[in-house]
Amino acid sequence: MIGVSLRSLLSHKLRLALTTIAVILGVSFVAGTFILTDTINSTFMSIFATANAGVAVTVHGHPIAGQTGGVGGGQNHPVPTSLLATVRAVPGVKDAVGNIFREGATLIGNEGKPIGGNGPPTFGANWITDSEISPYHLRSGTPPAQADDVVVDAGTAAKNALVLGQSLPIVFLGGVEEHFTITGIAGYGTSDNLAGATIALFTEATAGRVLEAGNKYDSILVSAQTGVTDVVLRERLAKALPSYTEAETGQQAAAAAEQSTESTISTFIGTPLLVFAFISLFVGSFLIINTFNILVAQRTRELALLRALGATRAQVMTSVLVEAAVTGLIASILGFAAGILIARALLSLFGSAATGSVTLLPRTFIVAVLVGTIVTLIAATLPARRATRIAPVAALSEALPETQPLPRRRVLIGLGIFVLGAAALVAGLFTSNSVTLQLIGVGFLGVFLGVALLAPLLVVPVATVIGWPVRRLRGASGLLAGENARRNPRRTALTAAALMIGLALVTCVAVLTDSVRVSTNNAIEGTLKADYIVFAQGPGFNTQAAQALAQDSALTDVTEVRTTSVLIGGSSQNIFAIDPASLGSVLSLTMISGDPSVIASTNTALLDSTEAAASGVHQGQTVTFAFPQGAAVRMRVGGIYTANALVSGYIVSLATMQPNVPDARDDIVLANAARGVSAGTAERALHQDVNAFPLLKAMSRSEYRSFVGASLDSFLNLITTLLAFAIIIAVLGIANTLALSVLERTREIGVLRALGMTRSQTRSMVRWESVIISLLGAVLGLTVGLGLGVVVAGSLHDLGITNVAIPGGNLILYAVAAGVFGVLAAIIPTIRAARVDILRAIATE
Amino acid sequence: MEFGARRRFVYPGTRDSGDCEAPEMTVTEAAGATTAAPDARPVAARTTDAVKEYGRGDALVRALDGITISFAKGQFSAIMGPSGSGKSTLLHCLAGLDRLTSGTIHIGDVELGRLNDRQLTLLRRVRVGFIFQSFNLVPTLSALDNIVLPLTIAGRKPDPAALADVVRITGLGDRLKHRPNQLSGGQQQRVAAARAIVSRPEIIFADEPTGNLDSKASSDLLDFLRHAVDELGQTIIMVTHDPLAAAHADRVVFLADGHVVSELQSPTADSILDVMRHLGG
Repeated sequence: MIGVSLRSLLSHKLRLALTTIAVILGVSFVAGTFILTDTINSTFMSIFATANAGVAVTVHGHPIAGQTGGVGGGQNHPVPTSLLATVRAVPGVKDAVGNIFREGATLIGNEGKPIGGNGPPTFGANWITDSEISPYHLRSGTPPAQADDVVVDAGTAAKNALVLGQSLPIVFLGGVEEHFTITGIAGYGTSDNLAGATIALFTEATAGRVLEAGNKYDSILVSAQTGVTDVVLRERLAKALPSYTEAETGQQAAAAAEQSTESTISTFIGTPLLVFAFISLFVGSFLIINTFNILVAQRTRELALLRALGATRAQVMTSVLVEAAVTGLIASILGFAAGILIARALLSLFGSAATGSVTLLPRTFIVAVLVGTIVTLIAATLPARRATRIAPVAALSEALPETQPLPRRRVLIGLGIFVLGAAALVAGLFTSNSVTLQLIGVGFLGVFLGVALLAPLLVVPVATVIGWPVRRLRGASGLLAGENARRNPRRTALTAAALMIGLALVTCVAVLTDSVRVSTNNAIEGTLKADYIVFAQGPGFNTQAAQALAQDSALTDVTEVRTTSVLIGGSSQNIFAIDPASLGSVLSLTMISGDPSVIASTNTALLDSTEAAASGVHQGQTVTFAFPQGAAVRMRVGGIYTANALVSGYIVSLATMQPNVPDARDDIVLANAARGVSAGTAERALHQDVNAFPLLKAMSRSEYRSFVGASLDSFLNLITTLLAFAIIIAVLGIANTLALSVLERTREIGVLRALGMTRSQTRSMVRWESVIISLLGAVLGLTVGLGLGVVVAGSLHDLGITNVAIPGGNLILYAVAAGVFGVLAAIIPTIRAARVDILRAIATE
Repeated sequence: MEFGARRRFVYPGTRDSGDCEAPEMTVTEAAGATTAAPDARPVAARTTDAVKEYGRGDALVRALDGITISFAKGQFSAIMGPSGSGKSTLLHCLAGLDRLTSGTIHIGDVELGRLNDRQLTLLRRVRVGFIFQSFNLVPTLSALDNIVLPLTIAGRKPDPAALADVVRITGLGDRLKHRPNQLSGGQQQRVAAARAIVSRPEIIFADEPTGNLDSKASSDLLDFLRHAVDELGQTIIMVTHDPLAAAHADRVVFLADGHVVSELQSPTADSILDVMRHLGG
């Protein structure tokens, strides 16, 4: 029997080609994701390993609450510079150096643009003079000696054509440009740089000043005397040093950094990509089911003959499954190979330093092959079961039933899955628990599966409606296209459902982004009173900008807005701080109770009504903020306001927040045109002031609105791109179904041609069938996507998503795109249909 | 009715003449003898030195070996012959479904060899009707939609009176909304016949139309075709191997090895069997 299925596989290899492509695409996405994250991880691993090579022990403060994790590890509290002497005095210490290493030194490239902008972080650090300890290895030039000397990493220098001796402007923490001279170019460990991040190295004094380190080091790096092990030295240091410090061996530090990096990359790159890979495979499984269903239908006679000759049901089932397993296996191996290409493409897109070789772990190959083969096998199980139900007598009968009514059981199962999915989704969105994301995922899956199972019921009515204009416009071709789309509702439904999933997800995200857009616009209109808004795309910026604006006579009400995350009742929340004196001039909060001015009294906060309701906090009540620096401060809720897309959560005064955070960093500066100053004059003055701060953007309210719109658009585009795989697979599915249908209907097409249907009418017939299937997918996808989008957007009320908006333009675009996909999917099937040899087609067997 | 008179033409039987040179033959002697039908009625279709070869080299098969023949308008002709005699090939070539290797075929005054694929398609659509052995109805369409399909393909609306006429003689009145798989074989073939006739083509080609029917259904269908010829003046050319079916025709042409070998006018089943016996012997 296995021989039979292998021969069948070979004879159907063309028909299986598209199935193979679907599996390849899905598997390559999975494999590519693993290879990408493995490669990035291993790049960091080798960096950490070589960089920490000479460090026996690292000494630093305790981790900052809420700042754990991240690439390279979490942030720790700094230690005073005076601790260095204490460390050096510990027996067994060979040398110890202070290390300042912080984000916020942005190099300005030769074209005058910030290097690294929104991409990898921009680090500043002190040059470490002990070359045994230092992770920096001078490649050319000399270490920084003067206050305005800088050494840059070799990767950044090469990429941006920075050379020794040149003048280099650098912006610190969003401030004004300062000019340095490049005295040296250095590698980080044995790498050119820290996986794409820029590193600028200064004298210790300069680093302390520009990075606002104060008299503190971020850590102290220690080397050991010969004969003293790292572990022993760490124990000695731990005993000798004050309780606010921690000591780790170099190995521990590297391991911690590795672990933190790995989980960060998995959270921000690996998991999201795997979600989209899974969607692709899910869509691909629809294609596999359809292909095997059609193959089984076409082989009914052959299978029945095998049954008549004594093959058991189990043998028939096995023969179909073996075919599926072999297809899945081959496709998975090809998918793994394609995954390597995808990973390489993505790595070069990210501009990562790791373009040399990709990391191929055996795990990746095993997962790819298992996932691809198992998905194919599972998808082929339903068709295989159908194959076992073929009665031996079918070998003798002439005609096969074209369509079977949808069994009641299937309708009930479909409804059940749909309802369960919807329930899981609602539970995930509207209740707070630890498995929110899992519930939402299961909910989407359930909704899609349910709709796919029920879709055959919708095929006839929807295809009739969509088919009507086609029939009117395209006569016989249109009539037959509509009839053909309806003749096998299950096949059409499954084909359309595959497209539905991609379109539904795109639609859902479009509804979400449009809701955010409208909510933000409303907030900008309703809440933002300030004429101008200044902000950085990146971490908070220092107060130089606010000071400069405050001194400009064309502007008034210059108001700094700062944020920080605090722990409230164990969960991390972002809080706003603003100057109460000008709050009313730049923001108009809709108060439910109390007055915004109450925050003028210290340790008094405003809270939005949604969060207040969710956490059961009332006006006048006191809550405790645990600040990252460790201070626990009791705050009285002095007023309740309505959340909007710009401001939600707790608001306090700058004076309340400032003593509890180490640095004064503005996140937003708001300003108004001064009284009697024209908008044009004020805007010119604003831009002139902000020009001195290369990382800052200054916008009027309307500019800010378009800026938010553009960011949302690019987010939507990113999601659409990630869903492209799923949509391509669905379009392949349409092509596949059509190609197999054309094959099945060869005789019918021959008759139509004999009756006087031209080749172009024949093409038109197949093309319009394809368009009808695609539009059915669009109708399902847009409907389901709208439903999901409205529910999800509605659940984000506490994030200030006050409006649920439906992006009509996008919906029309998606429907038109679906029609175009239909035309594209039909290209090859139409060619085949037009080539049908009339005589051969109508020849009696 | 005009064509009722046709039955008065009585030709000597070919009972004792299997010779293809028999003087009763309507086979024309040479190309250009376009009106060589003995009754001098207009010609619906004719071939001149029609040659059709398949394959090449050792595998070369001459399905038609220089056939010259005319078919008169308003006549019901049958083509008979053993398997491999070329009768289906001749029908396919006449119908514009296949092309000759050499020689010419005219439908009316149009030479098929000069037409490209699209023109041939349009010719089939407008001037030709088909009835196939295996009915070949479109399974997704109702009986009525199948009947009017050639008109739909041509983008024409059926003439209600003509359609009613056709429907009446098929006797399918109450089954018009049914799909083919809800009809019996005989009903399906009558739908196919109605489909062939509804656009009033110049010629209907029928390829073993009774091949899949029982005797009652066969007889109904042949009566229907006979009616179409007698009452509507329809021209029909039918390939069959069933003498009973061929007996419904006005004329039977016998083919063997790609040649016309004999022919009968106003045949009966007996006279046909005689010729067959003679040819087979």
